[in-house]
Amino acid sequence: MDIAISDQGGLKVVAISGEVDLSTSPKVRDALLDCIFKGAGVVVDLSKVAYIDSSGVASLVEAFQNAKTRKLSFALASVGDTPLRVLKLARLDQVFIIHDTVDSAVAALG
Amino acid sequence: MRDKASLSLGSIEGMGRVNGGAVLGGRGGSLSEQLDLLAEMARDFAASRDIEGAMARALARIAAMVGAEGGALFLLDETAENLVCHASFGPVDINGLSVKAGQGIVGRSVAGNCSEMVRDVAADPQFKGALDEKTGFTTKSILCAPMAVQGERIGAIELVNKTSRSPGRSQGGGNGLFADEDLKFLEALAASAGLAILNARLAGELAEQEVMRRELALAAEIQRGLLPPPGADDFPVCGVNRPARVVSGDFYDFFILYDGRIAFTLADVSGKGMNAALLMAKAASLFRCLGKEDLRPGRLLQRINAEVCETSLRGMFVTMVAGTYDPATGRVVLSNAGHEPPLVYAPDGSFRALSAGAPPVGIPPELTGGGPVPEEVLHLNGGALYIFTDGVTEGYVTTGKELSDQGFKDLMVQGLANGEDAATRINRVATLLTSSGQPLRDDVTIMAIDDAGPARRRAEKGETSPPPDDAPPVDVLEGLLCQLNLPGRAQSLVMVRRAVEVAATACGFAKEQTQDIILAVDEACQNVVRHAYGGKGGGDMVIDLRREQGEFQVLIRDFAAPVDVARIKPRELDDVRPGGLGVHFIREVMDRMDYLPPPDGQGNLLRLTKTIRA
Repeated sequence: MDIAISDQGGLKVVAISGEVDLSTSPKVRDALLDCIFKGAGVVVDLSKVAYIDSSGVASLVEAFQNAKTRKLSFALASVGDTPLRVLKLARLDQVFIIHDTVDSAVAALG
Repeated sequence: MRDKASLSLGSIEGMGRVNGGAVLGGRGGSLSEQLDLLAEMARDFAASRDIEGAMARALARIAAMVGAEGGALFLLDETAENLVCHASFGPVDINGLSVKAGQGIVGRSVAGNCSEMVRDVAADPQFKGALDEKTGFTTKSILCAPMAVQGERIGAIELVNKTSRSPGRSQGGGNGLFADEDLKFLEALAASAGLAILNARLAGELAEQEVMRRELALAAEIQRGLLPPPGADDFPVCGVNRPARVVSGDFYDFFILYDGRIAFTLADVSGKGMNAALLMAKAASLFRCLGKEDLRPGRLLQRINAEVCETSLRGMFVTMVAGTYDPATGRVVLSNAGHEPPLVYAPDGSFRALSAGAPPVGIPPELTGGGPVPEEVLHLNGGALYIFTDGVTEGYVTTGKELSDQGFKDLMVQGLANGEDAATRINRVATLLTSSGQPLRDDVTIMAIDDAGPARRRAEKGETSPPPDDAPPVDVLEGLLCQLNLPGRAQSLVMVRRAVEVAATACGFAKEQTQDIILAVDEACQNVVRHAYGGKGGGDMVIDLRREQGEFQVLIRDFAAPVDVARIKPRELDDVRPGGLGVHFIREVMDRMDYLPPPDGQGNLLRLTKTIRA
């Protein structure tokens, strides 16, 4: 699992690739919360996520809640079939703000 | 076994017989002195466990009594080709010296069972004097008397050089030469010593036999320990074993598998002695060990055969039946490697014999082409399955009359009509065979699987009988597909996901279903890592991926403290917060999630099931 962070239109774009599971999700959580604690809105690029489990979903939920309390933007972008299936199973597809692409997310939030 | 006192008496009686009155009543040492010596010698041999020491003491006493400068006691060795010196007395120690039987004065004496006296060695052509050259001892005069009991040659006692001071005796003193009466006296003593030595040897053999008898009894005890303890009263499987000798070449075993099915076996090792008992112990252990891996019975027997063939002595084999029985359905999967056909009793009163599908265990796979032993799937439908050894059907009920297959069937039907349970029925057969007034011809072993009780419970629950034959085609993967044994750490999960992906795909699940199953299994394993082991990686987890009768099953076993199943529940989804989603995912994705009693009651065993749709 790899995490790449870039700045786009005043937001942090956090691109995750690989498998997010119990052993890698703490890194995802740390990266997301770090951005939020620094006061940045976040777009999470899930296009290259091959797998995500409940601990990965939990990291997204925790970051989302922290962004909300700080009135920061938080969106998911480019969610592939596999992560989307998991979000749907958790009924979180209706909770998160989900954009088709990173660009459209940045345009909407920025 | 005879006790020491009777041995001692026996020796003294023997002496009296051998000696008669001729010598003891003769000239020289007093009669009471001579009797004392004989009695003491006999006592020493009888009481001492050290025959060699007793021989040395006896020789010393004899030499002293006769009045000899030196002496030696020779015994024929086991081959009867050599005479070996077991005790010597005097200035030269020749202990261990071996001479060819029949050679020299000692050899001549033993071969001819006659005593020899060379009053003056200088005049005897048989005397070689080679020893004298080596030892510097000068032999002047020799007495030699054979030790033999009822024609069995034992050895001889040889004395050299008459001493001048022979206590209690008057003849021959001074010139170092023996006299005729010395020889007579030695003859009597040697005969007695021979008897005492023979008795001591017999006593030793008896003691050895006693040790062996005790060891055999211990072996039998250990062997009985290999048989399973009887189950509870309503347990559907029971067995009985009566060895023809102390140890048995038969065995049976059964134990409960993770999902409530019962694995069972019954086997008969060729032969009845200790070798059969040892092979029985090996086959029984292999069944216990490999049976817990829950292979299909055909594969299990194939594995056991491979293991036995790797090390077994040639010419020994084991006829063996192995199978599983599911009390929840009455379904039996059974394989028969060369064993007497088990009998299936149907509630309509009919019997069906299940003949062997493969040669016995112990026949090398290269001879039979290897491969799993064919399996038979059947449903007991409230009937029973009887597995037994040929010691049962060929056992005598009365003189010369064998029980036979029909006799066994009749007894089962009769017992059933009398309302006896299966254990009572088979024990009745075993008792009948052991009380025929004749020794058992062969070990008697019977196992019964009685589906009557489980069928009643199934009917009470309204469960109908399954179709009679649902055996899977041979080329379809069935049973255990894969077993993972991994440390309970987060890093192990990726391996679990890969294995599940391959196994689920192999079972025909579409990509999305496979992804779902991967998620569910991953979540269940996460719970082991995070909750059972508290994230500390304190133990292993064992994950079995199985295909069972149209279902994909995942068994996850941990070795942590038992979890409180009641506390495991999915969270409310409206409550958006991190965590607590795992169980919800599992419930959503899988058809069933249930906790099973773990084997040996240790840890936790979770089963996830998903139906495979054609």
